[in-house]
Amino acid sequence: MNRWLLAGLLTLPLTAQVTFERIVNASKEPQNWLTYWGDYGAVRHRALNQINTANVKDLHLEWVFQTGQAGISETVPLVVDGILYLTSSEGYAFAVDGRSGRQIWTYKYAMPPNTKLCCGTISRGLAMLGDRLYMVTPDAQLVSIDAKTGKQIWNSEIAPVAKSYGGTLAPLAVKDKIIVGVSGGEYGIRGLIDAFDAKTGQRAWRFWTVPGPGEPGHETWAGDSWKSGGGPTWMTGTYDPELNLIYWGVGNPGPDLAGDVRKGDNLYTCSLVALDADTGKLKWHYQFTPHDTHDWDANETPMLLDLDWKGQKRKVVVQANRNGFFYVLDRTNGEFLMAKAFARQNWAKGMDAKGRPIKLPNIEPTEAGTRLCPGLAGAANWMAPSYNPATGWFYFPVREQCDVYYSQPPVYIEGKSYWGSVSRAASDEREWGLLKALDPRTGETKWDFRYFRAPWGGTMSTSGGLIFSGDEDGYFMAFDAKNGKLLWKLNTGTSIKTAPITYSIDGRQYVTMPSGGVVLTFTVPSAK
Amino acid sequence: MHGGNSRHLVPDVQHALFQPLVAQMALGIPIAPPDTPTIMEPILSVKFFFLLLPLTLYAQTDAGISHGRALFRTNCAFCHGLTAEGGRGPNLVSAPLHHGESDEDLRNTIRQGVPGTTMPSFENFSDDEVRSLVDYLRSVSRATVKRTTVLGDPQTGRQIYTKSGCPACHRIGREGSVFGPDLSRIGASRPLEYLRESVVHPSADIPPEFEGVTAVLKNGKRVHGVRVNEDTFTLQLRDPSQRVISLMKDEVQQLTYDKQSLMPAYDRLSPADLQNLLAYLASITGTAHGAVKEAEGIR
Repeated sequence: MNRWLLAGLLTLPLTAQVTFERIVNASKEPQNWLTYWGDYGAVRHRALNQINTANVKDLHLEWVFQTGQAGISETVPLVVDGILYLTSSEGYAFAVDGRSGRQIWTYKYAMPPNTKLCCGTISRGLAMLGDRLYMVTPDAQLVSIDAKTGKQIWNSEIAPVAKSYGGTLAPLAVKDKIIVGVSGGEYGIRGLIDAFDAKTGQRAWRFWTVPGPGEPGHETWAGDSWKSGGGPTWMTGTYDPELNLIYWGVGNPGPDLAGDVRKGDNLYTCSLVALDADTGKLKWHYQFTPHDTHDWDANETPMLLDLDWKGQKRKVVVQANRNGFFYVLDRTNGEFLMAKAFARQNWAKGMDAKGRPIKLPNIEPTEAGTRLCPGLAGAANWMAPSYNPATGWFYFPVREQCDVYYSQPPVYIEGKSYWGSVSRAASDEREWGLLKALDPRTGETKWDFRYFRAPWGGTMSTSGGLIFSGDEDGYFMAFDAKNGKLLWKLNTGTSIKTAPITYSIDGRQYVTMPSGGVVLTFTVPSAK
Repeated sequence: MHGGNSRHLVPDVQHALFQPLVAQMALGIPIAPPDTPTIMEPILSVKFFFLLLPLTLYAQTDAGISHGRALFRTNCAFCHGLTAEGGRGPNLVSAPLHHGESDEDLRNTIRQGVPGTTMPSFENFSDDEVRSLVDYLRSVSRATVKRTTVLGDPQTGRQIYTKSGCPACHRIGREGSVFGPDLSRIGASRPLEYLRESVVHPSADIPPEFEGVTAVLKNGKRVHGVRVNEDTFTLQLRDPSQRVISLMKDEVQQLTYDKQSLMPAYDRLSPADLQNLLAYLASITGTAHGAVKEAEGIR
């Protein structure tokens, strides 16, 4: 046998085999980007420094991949051994050569004709386990795709699209399971988190984010309001392999802005839940916004950090919440450690000792309108934050925008939106945005950089001392992680709605930023 | 909100507001001959209407109307106002409907939008939803619209318009500058009171796309114009000679957003001149000149 062929056969089983162990140790292979967040803890930092504060000014466009789907792109590509795997709207997935941008295969999900969707066809990306990719479809199916060919292996219904369930998130692969959530929080769904067997597509467990009769937390819902209680789970969670716990953000109660029909705290909406990865059993929960009436989903990234906390090492989970507060919780037991406002807010006086917000009066939507900060879209949202171990700071986009909330009696009709009220931008005020560096130990701002508009772009950190991010005007930018100095920028031509990634192939570092219908990849001139 | 495609918040409309407008060939009602200068005016005053509104709504708590009202607030109120009495978009309660007055016309306008304006198409609405919206609009527009005379002579008003130098900033049809808002359909899209206010007190409501900006450059040069676009790093202005000025913010020393409109207040016109001018503006509904309007901005 030809020795090259033999060598090829020997290495073949290793390439594109994304084992659970590889994902656990994802940060030890910074050349790859193995999960939606890049690692189980959603730290989004990569130990790659070929592109750094000294040479980022020479960053140039290396290739462009056209998805053929115009409009918003929210995908975050995976990178596995030189190949990018990414999604676009309308149910597409692509495999792309990481050095050239040339397409290897295209997959399109065959959606049944005339399917009525709650939440559009946005897709935020894929999970990979073994040789398979996993994608959630707009009509709330989970599909398994052969990573080598782009052919579909199986599909399983997560929840019925006819009941307004939808899917936009990238799945999370843990051990032999694929964990997913659902969209549809504006349509009176009952939220859930599901685990599927990665091989067979059989459901392994389900966690209802709105507890049913007899379950703890059910008493936080008046009457039958739990049946259409919302609690969507539309963003990917994180995972601690040592504790074997999954951390998943739960969205708004339904109807979004009318609380009278669902008196009570409305658990587990606007909460973080910690679930046993094998069984889906609830270990603990923390509710950021009890009885929310402003659509402040808690689906923002639950980032896992090991911090020096008042002299002792603690396993914490941190979140910049849509309600304007930055939270630190003990992730072993959910203990509240700190909350500090990071944006303008006029709804809470502060937190009590247990971390329950002390709400200010007159914050409910009214017929005449109630001006409140943050607005409906929140001071933070699903845009990924990142953490740089060298500075010890948390980097995230901040939306400074307030809304006027108007009340209106809600009418629930299956399949129809169920807001129960209306909000509009406070039109006499200019919105703006910030890229903020914050010390997660204190909640103190270390630096910020002002954007003209409130952003929707996430961040990424590298050991080159850089923070990459994008703004609502379409600028893709690199900042010095230490001081927030802008070191490089490029106008991508449309607003950036997702977070960049970095990877390395054959010793060369690349940075990739999806924007609109294109995926842009940059690098610096190779060393002579 | 899930960050996906939330048509019920019409984010695209918000964006579209910052786009230049190109009005289509007017589809409106025929205008009155010059010797009978009339426009449509509501029979009820705005204040009286507000008092009446809750009564009319509670008197008709029909499920369709209530559903339509909810749909209206979520999808249409951003432009047409919470009570449909207009805002950025035309008043639908007490002003003539320029794209047809029948239920079928209204349904088509909602479904297809108005090409060339910021009125988007709402193709995703079900038939029931569109019907509810029309029911709601009918319920609030019971304040019957009738033709009343606008005092003043539009022909004389036209001379005042020219004499006062309005075309130096405003365009009607193919004539005039695009520095200020295009007025080719102004009589159709704005109520008389709004027109009066715009003439005598233009700073009362400045559309964001006509906001004035003063920039002092690092070399000391001072630039003044209408803000065409702005982002984190750049600014594009249009100066009174209709030239686009490109500014990089790192070249700018100081940036000031004008509180005052760039338009001078015409508050010294004689009452008769003002009335004639308003009569002229009110008569411009887009059909008078019969031309396809090519310029942007109808506010």
